[in-house]
Amino acid sequence: MAGSSSWSRALMLISPYTFASIGIAISIGVSVLGAAWGIYITGSSLIGAAIKAPRITSKNLISVIFCEAVAIYGVIVAIILQTKLESVPESQIYAPESLRAGYAIFASGIIVGFANLFCGLCVGIIGSSCALSDAQNSTLFVKILVIEIFGSALGLFGVIVGIIMSSQATWPAKAA
Amino acid sequence: MAGVMQKFVLASMIMWLAPMAILYGFNHHIIPGSGQLSSSSQTLLSGFLAVISVNLVIVLYIIMAMKEPANRELQPDPAFLAEAKASINQSAATTSNHDAQSRDKVE
Repeated sequence: MAGSSSWSRALMLISPYTFASIGIAISIGVSVLGAAWGIYITGSSLIGAAIKAPRITSKNLISVIFCEAVAIYGVIVAIILQTKLESVPESQIYAPESLRAGYAIFASGIIVGFANLFCGLCVGIIGSSCALSDAQNSTLFVKILVIEIFGSALGLFGVIVGIIMSSQATWPAKAA
Repeated sequence: MAGVMQKFVLASMIMWLAPMAILYGFNHHIIPGSGQLSSSSQTLLSGFLAVISVNLVIVLYIIMAMKEPANRELQPDPAFLAEAKASINQSAATTSNHDAQSRDKVE
């Protein structure tokens, strides 16, 4: 009876559709979590600092745009992943090719979700400091914007790897 | 302020619509030449073009925002400013009065 009930067997009998759907959910859900976190951190600092220095609002909306771009990356990858989710006939559902496709979509979703989560958080905190220091001294804005651009590149890395990962998710062709 | 909001809303809408349009075009083979691509290269190309379009909108918005001249029309509320100045002058007058009184008492 060795091997008839073991963790590896249990994990392998989870349908690849489960893994793929969870990957899609994580890619959009966790990305939006990061973007929202960033926007509310930046937004509250921006509105507070604009009381005494109303001139900062026009330029500091750039930080909010960076955070929103993080959410859009999550949506782009979720749309790409859901076009990759195909039906396979029941005989093929546990074929190695199916499992590979399910795991690839799962991994792609996790990559994009968590990269965007921390990118959104990073850009949000930098954007908040940017608004506060711009209110005091407007020459500092461009220098802090450079740091923000580096921060938003983190989300870009995650999206690139996620898209490359998902492009190889091919399900087995329907058996005759 | 209204101009700032208009530009922001416009940039946000384009930032959403452009990648969606690119993905839609590739998936439904509206874009010429997308029918001949294999599935994996279609995914790669559509994904990268969508991400590039988002970044392009961001760069354009940054250029538009940096070009704006620093406008002087938005100042703190003038009544608030006048009250603040009056209170500073008043406290300066009272401290000078107190200094004068303390000098008398020491004598």
